[in-house]
Amino acid sequence: MNPAHLDYDVLADLAEGLLEDDQAASVNAHLESCAECRDRSADLADVSRILAEAPAPPMPPELAERIDTAIAAESMHNATVVSMEQRRGRRHWRILSAAAAAIVVVGGGATVGKIALDGSDGTGSQASTPPQGDSARRMSAGAAPHQAAPSESALAAGAFKVTRSGTEYRAGKVAGQLGRLLGKGQELRLQGAPPTAQMSGCVTGVAHGRTPALVDQASYDGRAATVIALPGGRAGSWDVWVVGPDCSAQDPHVLEHEPA
Amino acid sequence: MTSVSMRRVDEVPDKELLARHAQGDPHAFAELVHRHRDRMWAVALRTLGDPEEAADALQDACLSAFRAAGRFRGDAAVTTWLHRIVVNACLDRIRRKSVRPATPMGDDATFDAVAPKMPDPTDAHGVSLDVRTALEQLPFEQRAALVLVDMMGYSVDDAAEVMEVPPGTIKSRCARGRARLAPLLTHHRNRRDSKNVGGVEGGGMPK
Repeated sequence: MNPAHLDYDVLADLAEGLLEDDQAASVNAHLESCAECRDRSADLADVSRILAEAPAPPMPPELAERIDTAIAAESMHNATVVSMEQRRGRRHWRILSAAAAAIVVVGGGATVGKIALDGSDGTGSQASTPPQGDSARRMSAGAAPHQAAPSESALAAGAFKVTRSGTEYRAGKVAGQLGRLLGKGQELRLQGAPPTAQMSGCVTGVAHGRTPALVDQASYDGRAATVIALPGGRAGSWDVWVVGPDCSAQDPHVLEHEPA
Repeated sequence: MTSVSMRRVDEVPDKELLARHAQGDPHAFAELVHRHRDRMWAVALRTLGDPEEAADALQDACLSAFRAAGRFRGDAAVTTWLHRIVVNACLDRIRRKSVRPATPMGDDATFDAVAPKMPDPTDAHGVSLDVRTALEQLPFEQRAALVLVDMMGYSVDDAAEVMEVPPGTIKSRCARGRARLAPLLTHHRNRRDSKNVGGVEGGGMPK
């Protein structure tokens, strides 16, 4: 370095201790005698100060909500994996024990499972039942929903009705039970009541744009639950979600999930 | 809804929240994000400049972290790990498409929409706008390094861990970035009012 003024790069390197010893010595020598370069050096320190003082805006509430929703949806998708892999020590599932459950079927050859609704059953039943395509046993008429059947046009993309089939879903048996229900075809899904806002949010959260084949407000292992069946990748396969009555867009309250 | 456990959730350490999440706790991860979201947002917004891009990047980051939680190794702080994912998500956004706004001065209306709604007697908001504009002149690596070290207060070593580069690389990136910013931020200095040089508008370099 000599008489020429120092540039910001050299001064910034000096400040970070990145210069070789001899270069640093010559830069420092120049600074001793050059007010202009001392000013420049101070400019660099100011950069850090100005950056540090810049206010950090908090996350906008809309974004916070959006991310919460995305995480909640992701939680639901993961619930299954977890339920399979983490059968032991999942004390957190106990929180579901008092809850009524709801079952949501999202199409696909579902093998539906098994959730220990009360945490006392740490081992859980591993059994899952493949869909039973025979649909031999049809639902009895007595299980039909009470609500008037809406018109087909009401089932626009994403729309669904909440059925009350009266089915008592059982862990490990849901796929078969659904297979029989859905064997009834359109009739079942067309009957039912429009979803509440909470149910709508709940289903939207798990459905990810798919239109449920069935949303059945029923019971699961003796507790109130909603079963949501979404179309799976192949015909006749179901992506099945069993959710509790607290299920909402923010918190899916997943009791069980069996992917297609 | 019931809580995750009897213990107040805000007393649970980050690492335990992450472990609970990995074990299937449906609420642990949301709590973790809730806890750190403002800083994660600040990193994303400052690194990308554009609020909409930053929002998308942050959502990407949160979902990536959600899925990758099982691979978290306990040798880093959870915040370091989270910020690394945020920075990487920002970089992905930049790689996918140029996020540099068409107008170098930025879209003030958009920025105002996410700026804190509060009286600002110190004109701090104005400062942040100028800082943001100046930061946009930097390459991503330099900008990210300065965001972490100078703006977020990370040590060089911690920033190096976030960005997965040697500490010397962080120092060098910070030095390059500060050298570039120095002529762009002169008007924020009181010390040299008399010789306030220009160069801000054009993103000019040192004389």
